[in-house]
Amino acid sequence: MTELQAERAAMVPRSQARPQRWRYLDVSIALAAFLVLAMLPMFIGSKALLDFVIRCSAFGLFATSLNLLVGFTGMVSFGHGMFFGLGAYSFGLIMQRTGVPVPVAFVATLVITTIVAAVIGAICVRLKEIYFAFVTLAFQMLIHSTILSWVSLTGGDQGLRGGIPRPAFFGIDLTNHVHLYITSCALLVTGLLLMRQIAQSPFGYTLRMIRDNANRASFVGIDVWRAKLTIFVLAALFASTGGVIMALFVSGAYPEFAYWTISGEGIFINMLGGVTTFLGPMVGTVLLLILNDTVTRMTEYYGIVLGIVILFFAIGLRKGLMDFAVEWYAQRRSGPAERG
Amino acid sequence: MTRTRKPGVNRRATLAMMGAGAATLAMPWVARAQAKTIKVGMPTILSGRVAQLGTSSRNGVMIEVDKVNAAGGLAGRQIEMVIRDSKGQPQEAARVARELVNTDGCELLIDAEASSGAFAVHEVARDLGVLCIHTNSETSALTADPKQHIPNAFRTARQGVHDSIVGGSYAASISKAKGLKKWATCAPDYAYGRDTTGEFTTYLKRFAPDTEIISESWPKLFQADYTEVVTKILQAKPQALYSCLWGGDLTSYIDQANIYALFSQMEVFAVNMADYTALTVVKNLPKGIHSGNRYIKTYPATAENAAWGDAYKAKYNEYPTNWSWENATAIMLLAEASKKTNSADGKKLAEALRGLKIKSPFGADGTVTMRAEDQTLVGYAIGWGTTIPQEPYVPQVQAGDWKTIFELEAEWKKSKGYT
Repeated sequence: MTELQAERAAMVPRSQARPQRWRYLDVSIALAAFLVLAMLPMFIGSKALLDFVIRCSAFGLFATSLNLLVGFTGMVSFGHGMFFGLGAYSFGLIMQRTGVPVPVAFVATLVITTIVAAVIGAICVRLKEIYFAFVTLAFQMLIHSTILSWVSLTGGDQGLRGGIPRPAFFGIDLTNHVHLYITSCALLVTGLLLMRQIAQSPFGYTLRMIRDNANRASFVGIDVWRAKLTIFVLAALFASTGGVIMALFVSGAYPEFAYWTISGEGIFINMLGGVTTFLGPMVGTVLLLILNDTVTRMTEYYGIVLGIVILFFAIGLRKGLMDFAVEWYAQRRSGPAERG
Repeated sequence: MTRTRKPGVNRRATLAMMGAGAATLAMPWVARAQAKTIKVGMPTILSGRVAQLGTSSRNGVMIEVDKVNAAGGLAGRQIEMVIRDSKGQPQEAARVARELVNTDGCELLIDAEASSGAFAVHEVARDLGVLCIHTNSETSALTADPKQHIPNAFRTARQGVHDSIVGGSYAASISKAKGLKKWATCAPDYAYGRDTTGEFTTYLKRFAPDTEIISESWPKLFQADYTEVVTKILQAKPQALYSCLWGGDLTSYIDQANIYALFSQMEVFAVNMADYTALTVVKNLPKGIHSGNRYIKTYPATAENAAWGDAYKAKYNEYPTNWSWENATAIMLLAEASKKTNSADGKKLAEALRGLKIKSPFGADGTVTMRAEDQTLVGYAIGWGTTIPQEPYVPQVQAGDWKTIFELEAEWKKSKGYT
């Protein structure tokens, strides 16, 4: 069987007409979401809310892309944060050193990420489970150490200093808070839409098959290694975009962006929001950031509160919030019917 | 068909909860401070391995804020400190700083962040134009590099290059007197350790050209076991050792090196020894370790400094740290600037701060100055001495000469292409 046929095989459970309709629905939801977000500054003058949404865009793209690996393909990467850091550093350095327009730097960042992710992925995706997790973690530490020790390029542990220049392009001035906000929203919505397309495409279903039974996928003729590598690189691209947004937000890049704690945060966001639904990580991001911001306002014992919340989700709910909500909704739906 | 409700959360309750959640979220954005108090935001590190940085910075600030408030506040407005933990993450530091200004209505920022966090807050100050005083970052580039310069950011911390010049010249004089030619270095492996060691050896060789470095060790930051480092140094048989380990790293290093009797075999120069965080924690403080002063209440040997140290101890039941005096100085300068301008407005304060000279318990000659050209603190007490195992720990401190510091600093700036 060729790969094409395999992809068709993966599509079997769905009817031919549905994908088209789903796609239009997704696009209209995305457009509506973007419009609502973009109009927000007109009604609410709060800069903190805009900051919040910008950070949600950065972490949301990062966490959702991690879910493409964890939830859809079953590859638990502990080193996904390296691409977040790589995006921030590549973009920041290109802007500081070359002074090219922002879109060029953005595309160049994506190209760099593709190359790095392809090399790292080619080594990592052969491995399974804990070995995959550990090798990705090892690569993350490698990138982090490189950032720390290559002082002449990266500024070492002080990070990229002096601010990232953000010259205006196509009438968009990223030094303007509202412009930066709308750009972040656009990147977020576009990113989510693209990831949704990937997840719902035949390729997305191939990934689910690999997750559930890689041997079977292999036997029906799917090149498992190639599929895994493809999604590894794609996920890296979205994580890197998240890093670019973060670099724009703080006007700099810091080694902490490529540290394992960022990857850990990504995993935690996924736990919090749930990995079985597409929007789970996005919900998790919003939850974590609200939690972070409110708890930090009140106490310096943030770690204790976060620990308790993790325990609640891990032992109490045993699933993410979106998983819980979806199940609850399904039960409500089916409940009356069963009784009726 | 009757629909029976399952017990639990119904739609109405869900909506109510969502509404309540939204309201809670919106609250801080709605509430704007209208009060007569002036809010001063302070992002710092209050959790994790270097939490002491945050707590002793906070203590240093509060002891002075209480005095200012008792005396009527900044131009009649009481100071309200809003101190928030950044967990040592630069993006959190940036976020917290923005939140303090945009949401909490803070009109001034005291940036008590370390290393990269300070640069992140610096960018926020650049973006928002709010008056910002860096109190903990000693990285020279923060104020020396003209690319970093913004009119609304100042620094009341030591500056790395000042310490290196004084340390280098002091070490060279001891070196000449005792004939110490072979040197070893041991410093934590990150920017601060590498830069400080590099600058120290540069100035050591400048003042004593016949010295040479025969061994270098770079233990990791927060390393627990220093056995290999200690044995490596002992095998190299240097006559003197320089180290810029600090805090817990320095104390574990000394405790472990004591077992090998390292301190009887060479002269040791540990720039960060003379800080109570290290002095009071070491089990058997060896006699005769050369150290720069960080904060010690006996140097400058004035009644004001001793009184300040004792008042701090009485209030917080521990001695001040280097961070404490740096943060206290920020408030002292703000108070003086507001007195001069009779205003608490950031722009006017910034104008008054440039070149401002105030009386200070921490000054080499009883005063410290906010130098106008690069907006960093100069004239603070800086010197070296040797330790004894009990209080006052460092009885004799040899003062550094600010004239020499200024000359060599200007030269250093030129060599870096800053001027």
